[in-house]
Amino acid sequence: MDFHYTFSALVAARALLAFAPLPDALKYSQQLSSPLTSYARLKEGVYLFSHGIDPYSGGLFRHSPLLLSAFTTLLPLKDPISKLLWTACDAAAAWSLVKIWRLRQRVGKSSRDGLIAALYLLNPYLFLPSLALSTSSLENTALLVAVAFACERRSSASILLLAILTHLSFSSIIYILPIFLLLTSSPVSNLASPRPFALDFKGLRKAVLPLVGEYFAYTTVLTAASTLVCGGSRAWVEKTWGSFFLLPDLTPNPGLWWYFFTEMFDHFRPFFLMVFSLHLLIYVLPITIKFQHDLLYATFLMAGVSATFKPYPTLSDPGLFLSLWSLFPETYSYLRHPIVTALIHLHGSLLLPLFNHLWLATGTGNANFFYASTLVFGIANGAGLIDAIWAGLATAIPVKDGDWDVGQE
Amino acid sequence: MSNTLGMYRTVKRLGIPDSNIILMLADDTACNPRNKFPGCVYSNAARNLDLYGDNIEVDYRGYEVTVENFIRVLTGRVDPSVPRSKRLLTDDRSNIFVYMTGHGGNEFLKFQDNEEISAFDIADAFEQMWQKRRYNEILFMIDTCQANGMYSKFYSPNILATGSSEVGQNSYSYENDNDIGVAVIDSFTHHILQFMEGIDKTSQKTMQDLFDVFDPVKIHSTPGVRSDLFHRPLSQTLVTDFFGGVSQAEVFLPLIDTKTSMPPNGLDSKQPRAQDDPQDDAVDDDSGVFPSIRGSYDADLLALSSGKISLSSQDGMPARGARAWTSIALVGALVVWVGIRTRAKR
Repeated sequence: MDFHYTFSALVAARALLAFAPLPDALKYSQQLSSPLTSYARLKEGVYLFSHGIDPYSGGLFRHSPLLLSAFTTLLPLKDPISKLLWTACDAAAAWSLVKIWRLRQRVGKSSRDGLIAALYLLNPYLFLPSLALSTSSLENTALLVAVAFACERRSSASILLLAILTHLSFSSIIYILPIFLLLTSSPVSNLASPRPFALDFKGLRKAVLPLVGEYFAYTTVLTAASTLVCGGSRAWVEKTWGSFFLLPDLTPNPGLWWYFFTEMFDHFRPFFLMVFSLHLLIYVLPITIKFQHDLLYATFLMAGVSATFKPYPTLSDPGLFLSLWSLFPETYSYLRHPIVTALIHLHGSLLLPLFNHLWLATGTGNANFFYASTLVFGIANGAGLIDAIWAGLATAIPVKDGDWDVGQE
Repeated sequence: MSNTLGMYRTVKRLGIPDSNIILMLADDTACNPRNKFPGCVYSNAARNLDLYGDNIEVDYRGYEVTVENFIRVLTGRVDPSVPRSKRLLTDDRSNIFVYMTGHGGNEFLKFQDNEEISAFDIADAFEQMWQKRRYNEILFMIDTCQANGMYSKFYSPNILATGSSEVGQNSYSYENDNDIGVAVIDSFTHHILQFMEGIDKTSQKTMQDLFDVFDPVKIHSTPGVRSDLFHRPLSQTLVTDFFGGVSQAEVFLPLIDTKTSMPPNGLDSKQPRAQDDPQDDAVDDDSGVFPSIRGSYDADLLALSSGKISLSSQDGMPARGARAWTSIALVGALVVWVGIRTRAKR
């Protein structure tokens, strides 16, 4: 019962914070909302839609049509309701995180539940975008609930949430393979004793293909629903999913793509867009194969890859990665440079808003300042990812202690 | 020189930018070694306002002010090496205010002590401009002795002309400054500038009001007006049409009306028209520019109204609401389906 009190207190604190007056600097911050997740653009799109104009005919609105239909039918898009909704989503995500932890540890409840929930709800990378009502918080919620269902072996629920997540953010297709394999295995920690995946190729085909079929079925139904909302036009595909591949909007964000493509000659643009998109995809197979014994860890690493290399990241993405790290305490003693990673994160997260302000508000800096800070932030994310991979692998290697090999179970 | 500078200042105050003014000053009184107040030109004996100041832009000065250059500027037949600031870049929507002053006589004006421009030259230049569509309307103002003769030879349409004195009459200066030793401004120009003091950009005073204040007794000569070539009634021609850079905007009702369907209007009827009023000083131009008020958002709306972008719900609100609810129902059905499956599996 102790956990319930802690959890309620955290959610109540978050709700109170959500209803405090939000400074404009946070509302329109480019670190907290990207062109794909900005609340102002969502409001714009809903307004246009409710006045009979196709919001996808312009270049402003890049949210999924499912959000359009949800906010014009079930819930009006008013500030107080949105704040409650976002707080509820964060609470659901924290709850799912705790559930994943409990399933991994094979306990009904543990003493760390409150800590894990706090590490999600109090993570500044996560609660600041949530205060700014960026829809990246909704994406995080969808992912965590999907993973929680997958750990519970509730395949249909997990696949439905993955389909919804794909509609909200197309780059989350990199999670499909690890989560499907997680569905056929178990979330219990096997990092210390890696063994090949339980199923051979034929068994894998038998287990995973139905899941893939179900995923495509759900995605098709959701696509049909989206096309229906837009009145039969498929313009939304290019504006929402196409944004990930075509990078039409070069608004600054904490990611690594935008500056590169501001400097790109049109001649080379298609080639480099393909390279960057493929880059995101090439991590899926190696990480999944290498961590086939612990697919929850593979999912966690994919979150790190997504945070570093996504086209339009916000601070929520590295925030998710850092909060997920709380699930894997067995790796902590094998981390090689946790303090360096933490310090570079601190450094980058302080430089990002500072240089953004210097560049765009006071005008005493230029774009290169902010670009440098995104590079620092990229180094921070990369350092964290590399350390996580190393620690995950090193957990399996026993440490020599005299005549004894000390391992871990 | 203070005549011209006074007009220059007035016209700048009323909104014409330096890029639209060609200022030709043959004399450099401000920097003349005999000027007791170096770098300053005053228009009244009390020396209240320095017309020369810090930020005037003289396009043709000293020996560059010749009849040939003047005619070349008017007609646009300039050497390719002449910079843009020295060209008259007008088009058929531009109103031009031409102000000339100096020593003159019956149908001529003296340039640089060794040449003169005749009324026929100016009339022919204006006709060339008309043929080449270089102006919409011209206000020609001249302050010299026997000035009215200068505009008697015009034969091109849309020209309104006014001069300071009849043929056979002299034009007189307004007052002398005992410290500088010469007269500071001429009577006709001073009179007009007094009237212009009461004009700001929003003024609705017409050219008829300006001409009504001409008082031969006060000016000491008989000013004349020639309006037979001008196509608009003077009582409907605003002073700011020539003297000020004022654009007019028309406000339309919002394009989007949720109750009714889109009117299939073309783009032209919805585009706000702006009338720019270029003004000149010695000679200045103001090319008619339609200010672009549309951002990308409005452009989409305008394109919508002309039917270029297919509207997803021409039928209005009910269909839209039905579609949204149907799609949410689909998603809800999926959720229910998944719930049933999960329950069945357990």
